[in-house]
Amino acid sequence: MPARSLTRIVALGAIAALSLTACANGADTGTGTGDSAPTDLVISTDLPLQGASASTSESTNNLIQLYLDSVGGKAGNYNITLKTYDDSTAAKGAWDDAACAKNATDHVANTNEVAIMGTYNSGCAKIEVPTLNQDSTGPMLMVSHANTNPGLTKTWDVGEPEKYYPSGTRNFARVITTDDYQGAGAAAFASADLKVKKAYVLDDNQTYGLGVAKAFSDNAVKNGIEVVGSAHWDAKQPNYTALYQAVKASGADMVYLGGIYDNNGGQLVKDKVAVLGPNDGAVKLFAPDGFTGYPDLLKLDESKGMYLTFAGLTQDQLAAAGGVGAKLLTDYQTKYGKAPDGSYPLYGVAATQVILDAIAKSDGSRKSVTEQVLGGAGITIPADKSVLGKEIKIDPTTGDTSAKDLTIEIIKDGKETFEKSQSIS
Amino acid sequence: MAAATHAAAPQRDLKRFAWPIGYVAVILFLFFLYFQILPSLVKPVSAPVLAWLPVATINECLMWAIMALGLNVVVGYAGLLDLGYVAFWALGGYTAGWLMAFPFNWSWDFHLLSPVKATTPGTHINFWLVCIAAGILCSILGLFIGAPTLRLRGDYLALVTLGFGEVITQFFRNSGDIAGFNLANGDPGIGPIDPIGTGPLGAAGIAPPLLTNSAAGNVWKILVLGLLVGICIFVSLRIREGRLGRAWLALREDELAASMMGVPLVRVKLLAYAVGAFFGGIGGVANASAITTAVSPSGFDFGKSVLVLLMVVLGGMGNVWGVTIGAFLLSWLNSNGLKQIGVQIDSFAGTDLAASLPRYNYVILGLLLVLMMLFRREGLIPESRTKALMSMPSRTEAESLGADSLEAEAETDAVEHSDAKADAKIAHSADVMAGAASAPSPSPRREDES
Repeated sequence: MPARSLTRIVALGAIAALSLTACANGADTGTGTGDSAPTDLVISTDLPLQGASASTSESTNNLIQLYLDSVGGKAGNYNITLKTYDDSTAAKGAWDDAACAKNATDHVANTNEVAIMGTYNSGCAKIEVPTLNQDSTGPMLMVSHANTNPGLTKTWDVGEPEKYYPSGTRNFARVITTDDYQGAGAAAFASADLKVKKAYVLDDNQTYGLGVAKAFSDNAVKNGIEVVGSAHWDAKQPNYTALYQAVKASGADMVYLGGIYDNNGGQLVKDKVAVLGPNDGAVKLFAPDGFTGYPDLLKLDESKGMYLTFAGLTQDQLAAAGGVGAKLLTDYQTKYGKAPDGSYPLYGVAATQVILDAIAKSDGSRKSVTEQVLGGAGITIPADKSVLGKEIKIDPTTGDTSAKDLTIEIIKDGKETFEKSQSIS
Repeated sequence: MAAATHAAAPQRDLKRFAWPIGYVAVILFLFFLYFQILPSLVKPVSAPVLAWLPVATINECLMWAIMALGLNVVVGYAGLLDLGYVAFWALGGYTAGWLMAFPFNWSWDFHLLSPVKATTPGTHINFWLVCIAAGILCSILGLFIGAPTLRLRGDYLALVTLGFGEVITQFFRNSGDIAGFNLANGDPGIGPIDPIGTGPLGAAGIAPPLLTNSAAGNVWKILVLGLLVGICIFVSLRIREGRLGRAWLALREDELAASMMGVPLVRVKLLAYAVGAFFGGIGGVANASAITTAVSPSGFDFGKSVLVLLMVVLGGMGNVWGVTIGAFLLSWLNSNGLKQIGVQIDSFAGTDLAASLPRYNYVILGLLLVLMMLFRREGLIPESRTKALMSMPSRTEAESLGADSLEAEAETDAVEHSDAKADAKIAHSADVMAGAASAPSPSPRREDES
């Protein structure tokens, strides 16, 4: 039968092609064996390159590479190259614990690598940090641009943060403020500016979502907002009409979505408008930074008038501030023909700046690089050099940033638009 | 057995030790490859090996092999399709979370032969003890899952197991607040989980005292996980030869006939679930302690159940070696292979596939599955029985062409290709089981010489 022989030929061809690629030798990944000059160092990023966060991660990698090129790929006397790691699997479309654990091993094994910019998800950082912390030549430094879970640096859940640092010395820092500030800022804004009286708090029942929802609820009460109800939303549910009916019955004039957009956030926003009316109407819709940086959300008609908080400054503000950050964004626009996705990429560069500064001051060993950030006077990037347009100061005892910026955004004309800078007391 | 002295005895004894010797040699070779050989080689030689097959990936493959061997007992031996095997994986992982990790909700400290510092808060029990505890706990869960499915067949059975797999993940996701009690910390999960300790080896300074995810620790993990896989292979092989194993095979071929011949269906089915779950529990602990170092509900998704099932099906259902090879192949493809192939194509063609190729994971697996179903339905290394069955034409096909001739042809084929020695071995062990005490064991038949 000709059909059958055809399939055979196609199959054989495919197998032959695959085996050809498999037989090729000379792979490029350099797991160094320490025979190269110590003046060449590697920094890496560790981000989810598959699934919903992929576009943000790609922008972050590109922007960091652009920044590295702009400083000539140097930090002090060291030549710096960037290596990118993927901590997600296609099967899950999000970060995966086995992938994170494997990356941590690879970071440690790659002898030229001195520091990691990442991760994007706090859960992934909680897996990687202990491994990096126990590195015999380290501890190895990780500086995150997006891990907002408080437990990584301060007392939060039982045993946190000590359990992530078995060696007793810290090795994790971040350039972004934590969830507890985000909840506080959102509650203050909702109470003072939106005159909200009754809030209904939803969360996606995941680490990040529970954290921000709890922070918002606690602070809402402090600000005189009554929390009339709370519920988990199930990411697998086809629609949330029933959930919003309950919200409607409670008489809430605001809904807070503690969670990430990946967990069926689009449907959640659509159904909110369907049941409770548009977001600029009687019932406001508020979400944390887990909903920022998603082009899909901005394309939705129903997302119009939705408020978002971001635990830092947004792209628009950074561009307006001028200086290094604005120039970098312009360069990105010229090279790639579009702006980076969301506000995290610039924070990625900020974290990279901290790493490069630490490398410049160090003797090139992992231990020394970590000590520059978490020890002594710590790292301070002055405002005129910082891509954030303001001073970046890392507290050497905890690794937290001194900046407490919170931006309130509103979705207008398919864009995240700056609404207000909310200071946090 | 030792008393039996006939001509073939020494030869057979050697044959019995053939695979363990081979297996130990392979594992030791892998260990020394990464421990000694590769670090001493020049970079151009060692770098490709480390790029294509990093140590962490080897460990991951070994962990998946434990899982695939466990599922093979349920699916390959007993023929009970299980789509929710990840449930045992999760329970095993959480057992490790409860018994060998930092505390998340209670404040008592308990140490039992644990390698971690005595000042560490939380419950810390030795890895091997936790393995046994998790195995037992999972077996009990296996019995629970097995019990309601006893009267079901085929599709319905698959649906129930699928349900269980999904339910347990949700259970752990909501476990942060069960009537006010924090049972398993909900979505954040439990972590960090203790690494495996090396005991005397660590004390003597031969191995690192704690097998963390460091380069040195990972190399030693090959031995620990290799030992666990070895135990699973040994148990799988021995159990198959025994009464229980043969009962499973009978059940798989024809449930009705098996029950007519006196196979106790209830007990045999439940034992299949329990044994498979026991392996799953051990694999879960190995995964939590050696691979991921933390457990959270998001790590136990349906995709993992499917992947393990694929390993069993592609490797060769019911054949221990096939399943092990299948597990190695697919887990390598899943964790490192696709990315590395992407890197390779990039270096040839200047494309940018390293990040995007893994996205086609399921497309590639699907294609692989379709190709296998077209050209090699019985798997990579099939079980001889399955192969014979598969090469039999289906009834409708046969009827349209003249059934008798075809069937006869298939049967003679099966007889010609059957392994006389293996048949003799099975017959012999059956005789031994039937009453070696009363009758002297007959010498094995020599069909090959007749």
